[in-house]
Amino acid sequence: MEQKLTDLELIQKVLNGETDQYALLVKRHQRFVFTLALRFSKNREDAEEIAQDCFVKAYKALGAFKQTAKFSTWLYTITYTTAMTFLRKNRLDTTSIHDESTILQLENQTSSFNANGYERQDSHAFLNIAITQLSPDDAAIITLFYKGEQSLEEIGEALHMEPNTIKVKLHRARQRLKEKLQYLLKDEVKELL
Amino acid sequence: MNTIEQQLWDYIDGNLDDSSKKAIEEKIALDAEVKAQYEDLLKLNLAFNGMDLDEPSMSFTRNVMESVALAPAPVAMKTKVDKKIIYSIGGFFVVSLLALLSYVFYHANLEMPQFDLKVNFDFNLEKYITSTAIYAFLFADLVIGLIFLDQFLRKKIAQK
Repeated sequence: MEQKLTDLELIQKVLNGETDQYALLVKRHQRFVFTLALRFSKNREDAEEIAQDCFVKAYKALGAFKQTAKFSTWLYTITYTTAMTFLRKNRLDTTSIHDESTILQLENQTSSFNANGYERQDSHAFLNIAITQLSPDDAAIITLFYKGEQSLEEIGEALHMEPNTIKVKLHRARQRLKEKLQYLLKDEVKELL
Repeated sequence: MNTIEQQLWDYIDGNLDDSSKKAIEEKIALDAEVKAQYEDLLKLNLAFNGMDLDEPSMSFTRNVMESVALAPAPVAMKTKVDKKIIYSIGGFFVVSLLALLSYVFYHANLEMPQFDLKVNFDFNLEKYITSTAIYAFLFADLVIGLIFLDQFLRKKIAQK
């Protein structure tokens, strides 16, 4: 059985001319980069464009990648800056969690679930809905912490913030996510989780 | 701002030092309300860990590879040299220069030549500019030089 190559080994192969090996790196990280882009853009098409742009940028800059850090952290930094540039350029609506329309949207989603009798929907689905209602920063921090296997320092590096700021933001993001889930699931939250 | 909830999250994340960890463990053991809150947060943490990642379109990898095919192949930067080698070379030159200077000063006759000045100074120069004074001056220069070198290297390390 062939041993799975590490990110650094794959990068080395790409730098040595085996450029097709980059596809393996893309496949390995595309879900996370896409999810992260989606947290910022809130739109699948835009997220796909951001994620694609991010991988192309990473490829072009691969020679400058300092192999002392994790490739994923470096990639997420690129994702963050690419998403920010994209948002600025397109002036996308990054809805605040305090926005009235968000609450209205949430209410509709809740009622539609109840109307269809999906009272015991998969908790993951509810969680994903709640995450989409968070601000881009909160959603990105939660995603990086729980799914990106990134430390507070690494998240800070990716989002250009101090680790302590990330820690405080993570606390707040979790609090808001909990509130969203409670709102979404009413009294069922404890039961469901 | 350090609420009990934040302390519990820090405990769950493993971000507490030994004393804080012990303190929060005591609170959990003694206070039923804190214990209930802790259990809720644990469940929440488990749920957060189970969140799903979104899947891009089926053609995502192919699209990326088509885009990168147009770009020149990346190469490792030629400037990527092990810093230890640079420091070793630098260190060798510094040591060589210091050794050379030491040798020169050790063998040099640092005694001041006799002045034959007609000007009548109120003080005797030979009394002040002695070989000891020159050695002291050079030693002070060396110390200052080393301090600057130390500061320079510290800045370089901090910039990394």
